[in-house]
Amino acid sequence: MAEYKLDCLFEACPIPLLKALKQLNKMEIGDVLIMHTDHNCSIKNVVEWTKKQGHLIDYIEIADGEWEIYIEKAK
Amino acid sequence: MTATSSKIEALKRQREMEVKKKKNQSPFGIIITGMVITIYLALINYNLDFSSYWIIGILMGITLQRSRFCFAASFRDPIMVGSTSLLKAVLLAFIVSTIGFFIIQLRASVANPDYLITELPGQFNPVGLHTALGAILFGTGMVVAGGCASGVLIRIGEGHAMQLVVLIGFIIGATLGAAHFPFWDGVLISKTPVVHFPNHIGFFPSLILQLLLLCGLYFIADWYDKKNNIMTT
Repeated sequence: MAEYKLDCLFEACPIPLLKALKQLNKMEIGDVLIMHTDHNCSIKNVVEWTKKQGHLIDYIEIADGEWEIYIEKAK
Repeated sequence: MTATSSKIEALKRQREMEVKKKKNQSPFGIIITGMVITIYLALINYNLDFSSYWIIGILMGITLQRSRFCFAASFRDPIMVGSTSLLKAVLLAFIVSTIGFFIIQLRASVANPDYLITELPGQFNPVGLHTALGAILFGTGMVVAGGCASGVLIRIGEGHAMQLVVLIGFIIGATLGAAHFPFWDGVLISKTPVVHFPNHIGFFPSLILQLLLLCGLYFIADWYDKKNNIMTT
């Protein structure tokens, strides 16, 4: 299992999702992607999109207004 | 709940230990709430309109921020990622406000049967080419900037510094818009008639028509969400 980090600080709404999508395509099943974002929209649309795709996902707020999203590629 | 896994759980636990405990924000919350209520009570005696604007604005802000509601995403995501959950929220809001405005306008028109459109509560503006032009301009800007007016303000409050640039652009744009509004008004807006359905087909039929259309759109959005995954690989 490999871990990938994705820095999405200061990126506005669709960009974090697009970056995650590109990165997920390069990853193997079981790999984990860690996204670092300060855009609250990402919490909503990355989580929703990933769940819809069937990957595993969770997130925590690591500082005020900053989140880390964990995505495990499941298929 | 979120579908998670042992790997993600382990990462989360590890990270939670690394991240130092956040400062307790409750005292600030209590102080701010106290200030808000004090200003509200002070304004009630001074000007009832101002106090209503103040409290409604604050409650709307809280709702928008906590629900992570985003008008920009609600119209962009269906096209970009095939997800319509926010669009459905907007449609639901339209349905609720349709019924609300219906009640308000019906009451006003019962009180005064010889009503004029302009005397009914609500804003009546002509719809036409200028609506489409404005929508294209605003839609392009909102997707490029990463948020509509409310989203930008919420994220500035959350500390997303990039949107400060958007706010400056927003102020410039609004000022420019106000400056050449008379031009558009003369060329297009004042020449377009105001259409108010209740005037032509009555209050109840227009309510039913609008609700049917909105429900139809809602079901299309729901179907689209299930069918579509534009970015599926």
